[in-house]
Amino acid sequence: MLSKDQSEHRRHGNEENLAAANGRRRLIGDRGSHFLNRIEGETGANIAACYQCERCTNACPVSLYMDVKPHQVIRYVQLGWREELLQSATIWVCLSCEMCTTYCPNEVGVAETILHLRSLSARSTIAPREKQLAVFHETFLAELQRFGRVNEAWLMAALNRKPGILKEKIRSGQLKTEIQLGLTLWRKGKLKLLPKRCAAINEIRSIYRNRIGDRS
Amino acid sequence: MKLAFYPGCSLEGMANDYARSIAAVFRHLDITLVEIDDWSCCGATAAHSLSEMMAVALPARNLAAAEKMGLDIVSPCANCFNRLMFSKVMIQKKIFDVPWPVTGSIQVHDMTRFLARPDMVTHIEDRVRMPLKGLKVVCYYGCQMVRPPRLTGFTDYENPLTLDRLATAAGAKVLDWSYKTTCCGASIGIGRRDIQESLTARLLEKARQTGAEAIVVSCPLCQANLDLIQRDKASGCLPVFYFTELLRLAFEADNDSAGWFRMHIADPVPLLKAKDLLR
Amino acid sequence: MSDQNTSKADDGRAIGRVIVIGGGIGGIQCALDLAETGFYVYLLDKTHTLGGTMARLDKTFPTNDCSTCMFSPKLVQAAGNPNIEIIPSSRLLNLAGEPGRFTARIEKMPRYINLEKCIACGQCAQKCPQKVPDAFNGELGFRKAAFLTFPQAVPLKYALDAKHCLYLTRKRCGLCRKICPTGAVEFDQQPEIVDLEAGAVVLATGFELALTVQEGEYGYGRYRNVVTSLQYERMLSATGPYAGHLQRPSDGRVPKKVAWIQCVLSRDAARNRPFCSSVCCMHAAKQAVLTRSHDPETQTVIYFMDIRAHGKEFDDYIDRARYVHGVRYQRSMISQVYLNPENENLIIETFDHHLNRKVEQEYDLVVLSSGFKPSEESSALVKQLGLTANPFGFLTADFDQPVSTSRAGIFVCGGIEAPKDIPETVIQAGAAAAEAAVVIQAGRHSATFIAAAIPERVAGGPPRVGVFVCHCGSNIAGVVDIPQLMQQVERLPNVALATDFMFTCSAETQPRLMELMQKHELNRVVVAACSPKTHEPLFQDTLRKAGLNPYLFEMVNIRNQCSWVHSQEPQQATEKSLQLIRAGVSRALRLEPLTDQTYRVDPRALVIGGGLAGMSAALTLADQGFSVHLVEKDVRLGGFARHLTETLEGDAPPKLVRTLEERLRRHPLISVHLESRLTDHKGQVGNFRGIIAAKDGQEEISYGAVIVATGGRAYEPREYLYAEDSRVLSQVDLSRRLKDDPSWVRGLERVVMIQCVGSRNADFGFCSRVCCSAAVKNSIAIKESNPDVQVVILYRDLRTFGFKELYYLKARRMGVMFFRFIPGEQPRVYNDSAEKLIVDFTDRSSHQEFRVESDLVVLSSGMRPHAGADQIAAVLKLPRTKEGFFLEAHVKLQPLEFASPGVFLAGLAHSPRFIPEAIAMAKGAAQQAAKILCREKMSTPATVAVVDPDRCAACLACVRSCPFAAPFINAEGVSEIPPAKCRGCGICVVECPARAITLKHSTDEQIEAKIDALLEG
Repeated sequence: MLSKDQSEHRRHGNEENLAAANGRRRLIGDRGSHFLNRIEGETGANIAACYQCERCTNACPVSLYMDVKPHQVIRYVQLGWREELLQSATIWVCLSCEMCTTYCPNEVGVAETILHLRSLSARSTIAPREKQLAVFHETFLAELQRFGRVNEAWLMAALNRKPGILKEKIRSGQLKTEIQLGLTLWRKGKLKLLPKRCAAINEIRSIYRNRIGDRS
Repeated sequence: MKLAFYPGCSLEGMANDYARSIAAVFRHLDITLVEIDDWSCCGATAAHSLSEMMAVALPARNLAAAEKMGLDIVSPCANCFNRLMFSKVMIQKKIFDVPWPVTGSIQVHDMTRFLARPDMVTHIEDRVRMPLKGLKVVCYYGCQMVRPPRLTGFTDYENPLTLDRLATAAGAKVLDWSYKTTCCGASIGIGRRDIQESLTARLLEKARQTGAEAIVVSCPLCQANLDLIQRDKASGCLPVFYFTELLRLAFEADNDSAGWFRMHIADPVPLLKAKDLLR
Repeated sequence: MSDQNTSKADDGRAIGRVIVIGGGIGGIQCALDLAETGFYVYLLDKTHTLGGTMARLDKTFPTNDCSTCMFSPKLVQAAGNPNIEIIPSSRLLNLAGEPGRFTARIEKMPRYINLEKCIACGQCAQKCPQKVPDAFNGELGFRKAAFLTFPQAVPLKYALDAKHCLYLTRKRCGLCRKICPTGAVEFDQQPEIVDLEAGAVVLATGFELALTVQEGEYGYGRYRNVVTSLQYERMLSATGPYAGHLQRPSDGRVPKKVAWIQCVLSRDAARNRPFCSSVCCMHAAKQAVLTRSHDPETQTVIYFMDIRAHGKEFDDYIDRARYVHGVRYQRSMISQVYLNPENENLIIETFDHHLNRKVEQEYDLVVLSSGFKPSEESSALVKQLGLTANPFGFLTADFDQPVSTSRAGIFVCGGIEAPKDIPETVIQAGAAAAEAAVVIQAGRHSATFIAAAIPERVAGGPPRVGVFVCHCGSNIAGVVDIPQLMQQVERLPNVALATDFMFTCSAETQPRLMELMQKHELNRVVVAACSPKTHEPLFQDTLRKAGLNPYLFEMVNIRNQCSWVHSQEPQQATEKSLQLIRAGVSRALRLEPLTDQTYRVDPRALVIGGGLAGMSAALTLADQGFSVHLVEKDVRLGGFARHLTETLEGDAPPKLVRTLEERLRRHPLISVHLESRLTDHKGQVGNFRGIIAAKDGQEEISYGAVIVATGGRAYEPREYLYAEDSRVLSQVDLSRRLKDDPSWVRGLERVVMIQCVGSRNADFGFCSRVCCSAAVKNSIAIKESNPDVQVVILYRDLRTFGFKELYYLKARRMGVMFFRFIPGEQPRVYNDSAEKLIVDFTDRSSHQEFRVESDLVVLSSGMRPHAGADQIAAVLKLPRTKEGFFLEAHVKLQPLEFASPGVFLAGLAHSPRFIPEAIAMAKGAAQQAAKILCREKMSTPATVAVVDPDRCAACLACVRSCPFAAPFINAEGVSEIPPAKCRGCGICVVECPARAITLKHSTDEQIEAKIDALLEG
């Protein structure tokens, strides 16, 4: 399910590879420094300082599930491989647990970089590799916009109403688990069905207007 | 003493028991918690993921409100604490403008660190009526409270001790373990439950290996995560306490008539009874 | 102050004394280098003993020599030198005055044990009830509050630990005072302030581990089986807490899996420790090798990122560790160490790229290779003295003055200058001594103690042997039955006197021994005590003072060979003691008085090589008042440095060449011989003769010492289209072009640099040490001129050790990209059809293959010894490595000298090195030469081999076998061994088929007498 944009990027990448004579050999061209400068500017992370020691990847609790490992993310940014990064599962799988950033000896800000790539991906036309996760974050913000606070039950309900989500959950059997879980929570009195709404909800909504206007 | 209280969304929902025990504990300690009027959500991981601007702006509204009250904020939720600190730092660095005036005049306290100050620990110990003797626990801090250290100010990010001190003050036997700050995967639970469950299950296994009978936490998401995964467990479950639940029990030394632990999935009542800590 | 110290320099001359602060290997070496060149030294240490870090090491790389065995003789030398005054437990409070005439205020902390009275019997420690974690052993074991820091401590005196002593803390106990046989315990000692006068000061305060329990890295201080590198040294050591039996702290089990984590608090900008500690890669390799030899079943894994084996033959050592000893290297840096609560094992998680998942490895023990920092005390001292330190507290010196500080007259050496290993410390110690000596040159011999000659008694008449038996505290007397032994010794033939002492070696015993020798008219002396290796010179000196020929002395080791090894069988130990003493007496009867040969020293030096090292050595000697012949092959001075432009730190070598050259040419004591070669060299240390051949004829010169500084050159690459394609340059070429035409960079888009060209391969095994820094320097220069140039550096291990690491960090931050390749996957450089310059390579970090179209390819080509070294090696008969670098006498403690006396080594002739290192070496070598040149006369020991010309068949067996090239066939056609060249090793004696050679003092007759006496019993 590649978007048009994405397949174009893929093709473009292939052409570049072909130009490099033997398929897998990648050219080190000019893209690197531009992308690197941009990401460093936007995140304040010292991405260039990385010496590939792999402390981040060794520290990461979910590196197994990442197609591009944390230390490689940094290398890819240096090389300017934007598409590979924005298409990666990595940027969605990241837990923001900050282990990588904490243990980095070069103050690279690995987690911040990954998170920033996630927001770039969300703003791009590239389809997120982990769709449910991407939709969840969107839904959360939408719920917040609605009430000023987030009610867990309403959040789940809203998520399930998003296109494709319920279908996927039924297919994977996840829905069944979630219903059972919901019942347990309900029995334990952990679910509050009535959401609270902030009185000054308009104030909160006002900041959504310039949401895209990130640091420039 | 008076503090501005920022409960966060979870304490209105799944972590309602946390909210109740906090209220009881602070009442015993004679510290007044003033809930920030009409507080709003900090944006959590979602805002952080999708828009840095929002991640700064959403908590800022609450910071501004507390500044108006002239009170330091105490935050019971690790995630809220992290987000409030982030917003405060980013505003101080003047990286973003926010629609609410924030000068940085007030402190944001993580609740455990506030209570684990030496004077507070003495204060707490003075009020313990029933030390929780013989209860072997490990303390679990999760990620957001301690990391990144530059933001949270936890210099002992690998071996934080605030919960350890508080659980010890309550009389419990605290065991050291290496997984105090290893991520439980809460933020990925929706979408990739497989990943989250593998991380959580590993933590429970390590806690058991250490010899713990229960886990003590302060983060609502961690609690839900560690507790919920045990829902199908017939026996051998590890109750997951909020540290305030233990403090309250040590302060009040009551029976279970008020149903203080009824929201737990891994039921702590049999354990507490076996230890003669509940009549 | 001792009254032998003449003069207070009242005539305005510089004071001939130096204060050396820090009693580690650096301080001791510096003190010896000064004391042996006519200066008086105050050697201060903050602790109760000399020793520093080296005393705590088990063995040292790359030879795996026992650290104590190498170091003890140095300690003994320092202790025994009359011109070194050791002041333990002291610190410098204030320094006033100026270079040449300083007044230092010193505080001596109370030891609570009187140094003069203590005889180190050890009874106080035995009886002391208070156990204290032993800091010397990394707190892995215990000692008492009354203690001796380690068995070889200098001074060998006990001390009380004021923090833990029950009497000093609570006025209870006081047992030690009651039992001390000499009344040495003084609870009422107070700090004492003394003023010392000195002409110069040397700081040698060393370093500490940066890792503390508070830092808590990797669970240090939290998990019992996580130890520091220094703790592990103690764990391996035979004198350590586990008596050399490797075990883990938690349960005493032998560890079967041990992991090392490298770069702990090193190369870590996030923790404000962005520099490399330089030695950890090597000591981890050594520790792993030793661990494997303790128990070959034990698995060892080293987690690292770059192996920094930048020293002479270090790569060789790493290869042996890997491929011979089976040490596993894993290139992966660790974030956290986890504990298995069930067995206190440690879990290390790494991401396995082959399995594509995390793997957990469980270890019995984890060793943290911690980085270094200056101690708090030395930082306070630096501040007090107003010296400029770098941001990390080290006294990094200027490029052209590698041991100077920001204050004149104060010099520095060793770990406080920058993290470094033992040989580099020894080199700097020599250099600091040389610099101090230049400052106070006018005061040479003005403050030193010179032993007065005592007339020798003629030892005629029948042999009268005195036997002195030592208790060595309880070391010997605790096992050997001394009264019983003495009874039997008395009855041995020709024994005129037999008596015993608690400590025969103590300073108090010596006058008593002299008295007995004279009173009983002894003409042979036997001491039955410990090892002659450490104590023979001391007793020989006592004989000399008593008017006896020192060769009429025999020593028997009844401690190591009897009481220690047979501690469980006291009766047999006693019997064996008697047997050994009987053998000793038997030999003593056959000893002859021998006379050391003396001759005049020629106080001139010969320096071979006119590069930076040679020029620095010549100037250092000339500034100390010695005449120097400087011989240079080339038409001009300057050597390799002339080709350089700028260093990594921004200094200009050619400018330094010019400065030195000007000083050199003006110096009245230096004669420069250009376009000249040394073609002949003969004679002996202190008195050589040689021939210098120049274009216009030859000249015979004489000199007392030689410094070899033949230098190095750049390797001319044959690889990667060098010299075929003008776009392929060397780093030196690139530097020059960058300097000549800075605007040229603006036209560049992409530059690829390739490291290790002509280094670390089958042809040339060395790392050239400087090339990584050269690449980093040039990449920064390019980026500074034009940040848009893409610079790619292909490397194997990035070896910017020490503070050079900061420039590696800077280069990365500027966007220079570093990719790692392995030897099997060399980058490929070629021209494509469009004549573009292409580099193909495989990056080992991302496992990707890359291609770069580059404007330039820059080769980091290695270093080679200068071609002229061949000829010099032949003339001087000096050994070299297979790569052609000269081989020093001992890689650890004698880096500046050759095995043949009077010949010294400096600069690139030794190995590839940076300019400050070469200059330090030159100054250090000059100081070693000054030890000879400053003496009026020298003597050669009488223990030399002599040839009986009647029996010699001139078969050349001796000529071939002598390691010092001493024997030659003389005009009469028989072998002759010049006494000055003979080292008395005895190899020729054994080799000679005609038994024509005798080694004096070890004659066949003497040895046979000993054997016969042994067999009698």
